[in-house]
Amino acid sequence: MADDTELIKRAQAEDIDAFCLLAERYARRIHLLASHYCRNQQDAEDLSQEVWLKAYQALQSFRFDSSFYTWLRRITINAFLNHRRSGFFRRQGQTTAVQLMPLDSEVSSLASPENIYNKLLFESVVEAISELTASQRLAFLLRHYEGMSYEEIANAMNCSTGTVKKGVWRAITKLRARLSTEPQSQEALTSLANEY
Amino acid sequence: MHNCREVRERLTELILDGQPDRELVAELNKCAECSAEFDAVNATLRTTTRVRETAIPAESYWPAYHARLRDKLSHVQVRRRKENTGASFAPLRLCVNILFRPVPVPLAAGLVVLALLGLLAFRGTRKPAAPQSVVVHVPVEIPVVQEKLVTQVVYRNRYLPSRTSKRTGADSRVENTFAKSQMPRPDDVPTLTGFKPAADVKLTVIKGGSPNEK
Repeated sequence: MADDTELIKRAQAEDIDAFCLLAERYARRIHLLASHYCRNQQDAEDLSQEVWLKAYQALQSFRFDSSFYTWLRRITINAFLNHRRSGFFRRQGQTTAVQLMPLDSEVSSLASPENIYNKLLFESVVEAISELTASQRLAFLLRHYEGMSYEEIANAMNCSTGTVKKGVWRAITKLRARLSTEPQSQEALTSLANEY
Repeated sequence: MHNCREVRERLTELILDGQPDRELVAELNKCAECSAEFDAVNATLRTTTRVRETAIPAESYWPAYHARLRDKLSHVQVRRRKENTGASFAPLRLCVNILFRPVPVPLAAGLVVLALLGLLAFRGTRKPAAPQSVVVHVPVEIPVVQEKLVTQVVYRNRYLPSRTSKRTGADSRVENTFAKSQMPRPDDVPTLTGFKPAADVKLTVIKGGSPNEK
């Protein structure tokens, strides 16, 4: 299996197949960020694909100074910030991030109560995250899901470390208030999952 | 001194970093509220971590996703190639388009007439360009006429009476009569009527002349 460096060099020579192999390696991570950021599955796909198109167009500027994923993540963050400014997320209000699979489908084995419970939980988490401001949401995702340091996030978002720390703290406080972890809520989710 | 707000702000870092902070743990043990807050935040972050993988669509989703991406990439590649080839011949193509564009004869004639009229109007309103002035510094000697105020003193003839008074006899009487006739009368005021000053005045100062001369 070819390593990233070889695939990048081939992709820089306009080999689309090589670039698609790179995309297959990292598409899930980029899509994960986009789906938490966008709240909407269609927006998440559009945004993640746009990230790949931008990466393809800018690939000639990649100088192997950092890992490919670090470079790609920077493009992702910029795309997120640009979309925040341009009002890309026009389908606000639709929470279709969770697509419950029909039980009679070929993947019905995945529709166990535990999976459904997780999906319902995910829906409530995404809804809670969507209520954060865009900068709080991005700072939280980068800190919590990507494990970036406050300095790295501040550098990527072009703001101070203190702003990032405060944003993450406020995001967690809001999430804590929104995602009630009381036993009755958990029970309600479990019973709802069993109904499916 | 225990500060609940400060401890709660540091809880996030304690949970996210996953590194034990003995000082903070000791503070949590002191305060039941802070300890409860720690548990709540920890549970929230555990929940978000738990559902993290749920956000990733099922494997059946990805082939179609990559097919769509490949399609978009192909379009980008084609467009980029077109731009690259188009950019190299762009000026030539522009000239060809302009020169060989089919235009109806009346329209072309009208355009030519309009162009000529415009050219004539432009020439009519155009003023001849003034020669550009060049500043050259040339030293020139200018003669300065210095005028002097010259006072010309005119003396009239005088006869000294002391001389004539010393003479005696008939001569002296005749001379006295003549002298008296020549002497100015009190009402005879000297005038400068008829005096014409010379254009050039030559002054000669004689040193050691009369003692009364100034």
